[in-house]
Amino acid sequence: METPAILAFGFYFLVIVVGCFMAVGCASLVRALVGLVATLLGVAGMYLLLNAPFMAFMQILIYVGAICVLIFFALMLARADADGDEADPAPAARTFKGVLAAMLPGALLAPILMLHPTASKMIPAEVPLAELGRRLMEDYVLPFELISMVLLISMAGAVLLVWERRDK
Amino acid sequence: MNATISFDSVLHVVLALVGVAVFVGLNGLLLVYAERKVAGFIQRRPGPYEVGPQGILQAVADALKLIGKQLVRPDRADPLLFWMAPVLAFFPVLLLFLPIPFSPLLTGWDVNLGLLLILAFAGFNVLALLLAGWGSNNKYGLLGAARAVAQSVAYEIPLLLAVLAIAFQEGTLSLTAIVGGQGGMPWQWNIVVQPLAFLIFFVSALGETNRAPFDLPEAESELTAGFHTEYSGMGFGMFFLAEYANMIVACSVCTVLFLGGWKGPFLDGAWWFLAKVYGLLLSMMWFRWTYPRVRFDQLLNLNWRWLLPLGVLNLLATAFVMKL
Repeated sequence: METPAILAFGFYFLVIVVGCFMAVGCASLVRALVGLVATLLGVAGMYLLLNAPFMAFMQILIYVGAICVLIFFALMLARADADGDEADPAPAARTFKGVLAAMLPGALLAPILMLHPTASKMIPAEVPLAELGRRLMEDYVLPFELISMVLLISMAGAVLLVWERRDK
Repeated sequence: MNATISFDSVLHVVLALVGVAVFVGLNGLLLVYAERKVAGFIQRRPGPYEVGPQGILQAVADALKLIGKQLVRPDRADPLLFWMAPVLAFFPVLLLFLPIPFSPLLTGWDVNLGLLLILAFAGFNVLALLLAGWGSNNKYGLLGAARAVAQSVAYEIPLLLAVLAIAFQEGTLSLTAIVGGQGGMPWQWNIVVQPLAFLIFFVSALGETNRAPFDLPEAESELTAGFHTEYSGMGFGMFFLAEYANMIVACSVCTVLFLGGWKGPFLDGAWWFLAKVYGLLLSMMWFRWTYPRVRFDQLLNLNWRWLLPLGVLNLLATAFVMKL
């Protein structure tokens, strides 16, 4: 039981990391998108390892099946050639700032997790779907609704941006 | 699903995948032959006739030809994306067969979220079409890919709404449990309770599998062959197999959700399941050779103006009745 789980963890970890570097480093935007897809799939694998198949399938359904396809659509409209501005090597200062920004959440979250570790279980229990739905709609209804507010605001923001462009 | 990953269960899934691969391959041969014979019959011509008695070996000859042909990559096409696309189109489809209950005993992997697994991994098909269209470095390929996105993103929504109506009604996402909730007699099937959901599901499934009259991503009169214009040999062969495999999955899910799965008036078993699936496949072929291809605006109008509102209304009505 232990060894296959560790092997699976290592495999998913590898997929996530390679995908991340592809997503950030590729000059071709479509290749970068493929890297993003690999990362999202690796994360779905991690959910499976945590015995949360619902989360894993939703991750694939929403992120790979819908979000990435929409990103692709946007890329197609933008004519993202591999030999555009993105192909030029980035200046060192920008790379440094990028790495710093990427490490900031890790640096903030890691101490909290290390100081207050939650007890881990040998075999994670699968939460039934009905229980998940009940918790979301009863105990955690406020965060759940706030997330939809964030989506609404970002959508309104996108519309607003386009509106301003049109006036000029 | 169980956390204890034992060697037996992994072996079971691997064996199931091999079985599915064989099933898909053989069905590819059978359906190509059937499609051409049906087309011939509908258009009052004999169809394949020369290779073997009644042309029965035609599909085998076609397959051998495809395997033997050279694989060509266009100049300046992205090799990674170009070769990834057919692989990504074909292999995830095999996973879709795992949770389908072919008979009371014959299920590859009886997972309690089977319906969700199918819906999740079906999304890979669109991604593969996109990569193929983009990676080919061909304007027809790109146009085909652009159409594929608009179409599949649109048709996925009514499909999900129709599936949700059944999931609401049965209170489960397990395909085995959904079959268990229906009876053997035709009037005990879900199609009697949810005829509108069945209609929406079937039309959306035609759209999702890019079947005529909704085969715009590969409309040969305008786009040569759409997203797979540049693929030769088995590159094209894998897209082709994936299309037929997707059709079989769509018809199987339709059978499970609406037509009682493997249950029949007498002698329950895989034969009922296969008979219903092939009946649906035949009607898909019938549609293809009967209706002309729709225009793109017609396709999207049908979806956003009719299927989507009807799907929402149907879901609301289902929820209302369930609450009563």
